[in-house]
Amino acid sequence: MKKPVVKRLSATLAVCVVGLAMAACSSGSKSGGGKVHLTFWTHTHPPMIALNKQLITEYEKANPNVTIDYQQIPNTDFNTKMLTSLSNGSGPDVINMDDVAIRGDYIPKNLLAPMDSAAQATAEGRYLPHTLDGATSADGKLYGLPTEFNATAFAINKAAFTKAGLDPAKPPKAWDDVAADGQKLIAAGQGGFNFLYLSAGQYTQQLQILLNETGGRIVSDDGKKATIAEPAGVQALELWNTLINKDKLGDPHSSTRDATDPFADFEAGKTSMTIMYPWGVGQIKQDNPATFKNMEVVPLPQVDPSKPSGRWYGYYMAVNKASKHQSEAWKFINYVTSQNQRWLTDVNFIQPVKDWASSPAAAKVPFLPVWQQAYQQGRFDEVAPHWAEVQDAIKTAIESTVLDGKSADSTLNQASDTINQSLAE
Amino acid sequence: MSTLAIRATTHRKLIGAAFAVPALALFGLFAIYPMVRVFYISLFDYDLTSSPRWVGFNNYEFLWHSEQFHQSLEATGFYLLFTYVPAVLLALLLAIGLDTKLPGSGFIRLLYFAPVAMSWVAISVIWRLLFQPDGLLNRVLGTHTTWLTSTKSAEWALVIASVWKETGLFLILFLAGLSKIPRDLREAASLDGAGPLRSFRYVTLPLLKPMTAVVCVMAVIRGCQSFSPQVVLTGGSFNTEVVNLYVYKTAFENARMGRASAVAVLLFFALLMVTMLQLRLFRSDDR
Repeated sequence: MKKPVVKRLSATLAVCVVGLAMAACSSGSKSGGGKVHLTFWTHTHPPMIALNKQLITEYEKANPNVTIDYQQIPNTDFNTKMLTSLSNGSGPDVINMDDVAIRGDYIPKNLLAPMDSAAQATAEGRYLPHTLDGATSADGKLYGLPTEFNATAFAINKAAFTKAGLDPAKPPKAWDDVAADGQKLIAAGQGGFNFLYLSAGQYTQQLQILLNETGGRIVSDDGKKATIAEPAGVQALELWNTLINKDKLGDPHSSTRDATDPFADFEAGKTSMTIMYPWGVGQIKQDNPATFKNMEVVPLPQVDPSKPSGRWYGYYMAVNKASKHQSEAWKFINYVTSQNQRWLTDVNFIQPVKDWASSPAAAKVPFLPVWQQAYQQGRFDEVAPHWAEVQDAIKTAIESTVLDGKSADSTLNQASDTINQSLAE
Repeated sequence: MSTLAIRATTHRKLIGAAFAVPALALFGLFAIYPMVRVFYISLFDYDLTSSPRWVGFNNYEFLWHSEQFHQSLEATGFYLLFTYVPAVLLALLLAIGLDTKLPGSGFIRLLYFAPVAMSWVAISVIWRLLFQPDGLLNRVLGTHTTWLTSTKSAEWALVIASVWKETGLFLILFLAGLSKIPRDLREAASLDGAGPLRSFRYVTLPLLKPMTAVVCVMAVIRGCQSFSPQVVLTGGSFNTEVVNLYVYKTAFENARMGRASAVAVLLFFALLMVTMLQLRLFRSDDR
């Protein structure tokens, strides 16, 4: 009676061991017999996803040995999921992400495969000067090609302006004009202006827009010391706070908290003015044609209109250094980025190739002259080691000032201490 | 006992132990090993994607001086105290009220338990809507409180939502404890002239002590491990970044696994000590 029990136990264990081994083998094999399986991750943006799917289908048809598994990760989870997956070797072959992540995290941590020098030379000949800087390392190696390149402008609701007795043909040129026009809009029962209160990254990006104008910086040029609490930094946050709490152009407590729809307040009429990017025009055109019809995109208001500045940011396609199919991954990236005309017409993503503005597709880009001007006066955001912690400190400072009523000076000094602690390590 | 019988017993024990091996192996692999590993990693600087670098107790030293970590401890303490003390007391009072055979009491118990059966995320989403500036709560109260977007109210918003969610769990536990107390004892006390308060103080409460101990231990553990409501309702802003959220951000957003592990180790020992202290207090009262 006892021996059968032992035998059954041994047999069960043996089955378990064999089963586990088989499972391990089947999950580990990704390609075989000339077949290549690529994984591709992007953030979420519906028009972009639709075009990516079309391009993948076309690429798979033209390259029958290649299959592409395309996944979209919500923006707020993107970096966390990507870093976690790269740490255990399950990361995608092809990554599409913003320049701050590429320059701040992925290149310094040696997670991306650089382009070979011949391909880099070709790319540099194809794109406008400095537009590839968002994916270039300090030693000049290129790690990605842009799928979208954004400059910053401003959108106004023409119908709301008219109702408030304002001339939409004379949009605000300075932030003081935004304050004056905003108060007239609110007095006429229209929406005013507001910033976005979403992720730490978005708080920091908006402050960087103002910092570019006041001449402030978050950290010193050598990236070793916080400079955000210096007068130009305080001026930038005070400008934000004044527009919201003194001029009362918008309510930060009731503004949208939906990161997938950052223009919800503008579309709903809760604001009549908003900071705008090229992709945002495409999103509004698709989601809310009525708002698009009443919308005018104008140059970004300035602290000093005689010294205009702006903010650039881009999303780049890059290859995971641990990918076993780097060559195929670059081929796929080259195909996707070669379709710059379709990116313009279908998604409103501007890819900064040298002749983009004179192409037939560009002629159909809404508000083209404004974007062309914005591309002349921009610069990429700052990055430094442990940038996520820096962004957290900035977010806390902005919330403490704008939503909690503390002085910009004190909250930025506190942020400065936190940033210095991060940078010192 | 004959040699044959001893051999048979030993053999049976070995078979029994063999059956326990898989469970023990899994427990070791998924419970003990991760705990040991977390302590080990806490001694390194590790960003998930590079090789860990030995730093000794530097991560602990950093936490000792970190204002952000101290704030997360304060936020956790506030949340634990103002959520779980009221929730436990409220659950006890409700349990006494509902410990009857009256018609409909089962349905009322079910209503109180319903929030417990729902996920924290779903409940947080509901409360997020209620807490909006133009949400139901402000309309009912006739106030304009910015519940989730200011320091003075965000902590209290979390407390309100959490008391609503957690009371039901403790209520069920107290009801289970009350059901084990023989009614004869309370009836005898009543015949001896004890009023409801004296009966509760000298009969019910002492006999409910084992369950009260369980409830208190659970309350402290749940309070210290809170995470989801803070993530969904405030994202940790406005002094609501509790220790578990601090661990998450440090580990996965800031890629500092060593430092996050150090916090996890401290939290583990803190909870272990508090739990042992609680159990000791309840046990010493028994003597």
